[in-house]
Amino acid sequence: MQVSAQPINQAAYLIQQVAKQDREAFSQLYDRCSSLVFSLAMRMLKVHSDAEDLLQEVFVQVWRQASNYSEERGSPEAWIINIARSRAIDKIRSIRRMEKSFVLTDDPARAESSDNVESSAAESETRLTMNSALANLPETQRRVLELAYFDGLTQTEIAQRLAEPLGTVKTRMRSGIQRLREIVSSRAA
Amino acid sequence: MAHEEWLERAEIYGLSALDGDELIQFEAHLAAGCPVCEGRIRETRESLAVLARSLPPLTPPPQVKARLLHQISPEVAPSIRENTRSRWFSWGISAGAFAAAGLLITMTWSLYATRQELQRLQKDVASIQAGSILHETGIEFLSDPRAQSVHLKGLAPSPAAVGHLLWNPESRKGILITQGLPKNTPDKVYELWAIAGAEPVPVGTFSVEDKPHTLLKIPSLPHGKSFDKFAVTLEPAGGVPKPTGPMHLLGSL
Repeated sequence: MQVSAQPINQAAYLIQQVAKQDREAFSQLYDRCSSLVFSLAMRMLKVHSDAEDLLQEVFVQVWRQASNYSEERGSPEAWIINIARSRAIDKIRSIRRMEKSFVLTDDPARAESSDNVESSAAESETRLTMNSALANLPETQRRVLELAYFDGLTQTEIAQRLAEPLGTVKTRMRSGIQRLREIVSSRAA
Repeated sequence: MAHEEWLERAEIYGLSALDGDELIQFEAHLAAGCPVCEGRIRETRESLAVLARSLPPLTPPPQVKARLLHQISPEVAPSIRENTRSRWFSWGISAGAFAAAGLLITMTWSLYATRQELQRLQKDVASIQAGSILHETGIEFLSDPRAQSVHLKGLAPSPAAVGHLLWNPESRKGILITQGLPKNTPDKVYELWAIAGAEPVPVGTFSVEDKPHTLLKIPSLPHGKSFDKFAVTLEPAGGVPKPTGPMHLLGSL
């Protein structure tokens, strides 16, 4: 691989090389992005072995679909994060559907599971550094974004979970996204 | 609908939080082609990536990378080839024979990998072609004023699932879009039934894979029957003439 020929965005260059089945570039891309994907997988799936499996699945997909990536589709990291989130959400929602099918709503085990999601979200908030982008969001916006982004809840599920009108949840989501967009833009400027 | 409303949905879609009818309508809007909404989804995902970057970094175990590199490699690892080479030389086999054997192995693996990749690509192309035809069919039905819409509700086995069936009573053709049905095992398929009174008529079978939605094109149904309900059950692979499995979706005209 010609290191000197690398353009400014190294990750994008690595993906281009991966599209040509360059294993060395793939190895470098993995070293660069695996921690990000694994952290996200652990936060979303909460089980170490599941997070490892997801990490492997994500990078196999990157290997196979690198030729589909172009910089017009966003940054390489955002592209990879999106693959990871989509796969994690599929798993989370599949588990949730099975729980709904086989477990009674007043089952204590289910109630406990729900509490765990709540406490886990709370733990995540404390782990986030105070100077992170989320710290700049109002609590109500941050909460709906976390429930959607990390716990894979849909807008309707969030409204039910928080006992808030669906319209309120949508407004908070959009306001939070808008605020994040402003933060990202100001950082880039 | 004003396009601003589509853009609002695009943001929630980018967060993967859109659901129900809004999701189905928005995906139909995207399928019809809307670069503005696609751009908003990209922007949203780009902005949201900051949430993932805010997490404390965790280092994955090294064996994951080892497994991954093994999984993507269609060839024998170089170290194994080197060891093999040494033994060949030590046993006094000619360099020409070794080269020929090595070339044969490499070519065999290369051919195997190429064939695997070709098969995967053929499946992808078939899937894209099938999806494209179904999207076109869906748009065709949406734009036909004679088409009737049937909302199928999720029943006990899949309460979160929904289905939308667009049905043209004149041509007796239709299209079914489902969302939220659990992935079926290889020995099972979902089967759609058109129900006239109490008589179910088998319409077609489909499988739910990794995609959030499944589309089934309904061929022309027999005349002489007045269908007033549609249902989806889970049946043995290949389908059955009469429903035997649990009903997942049900809706009435």
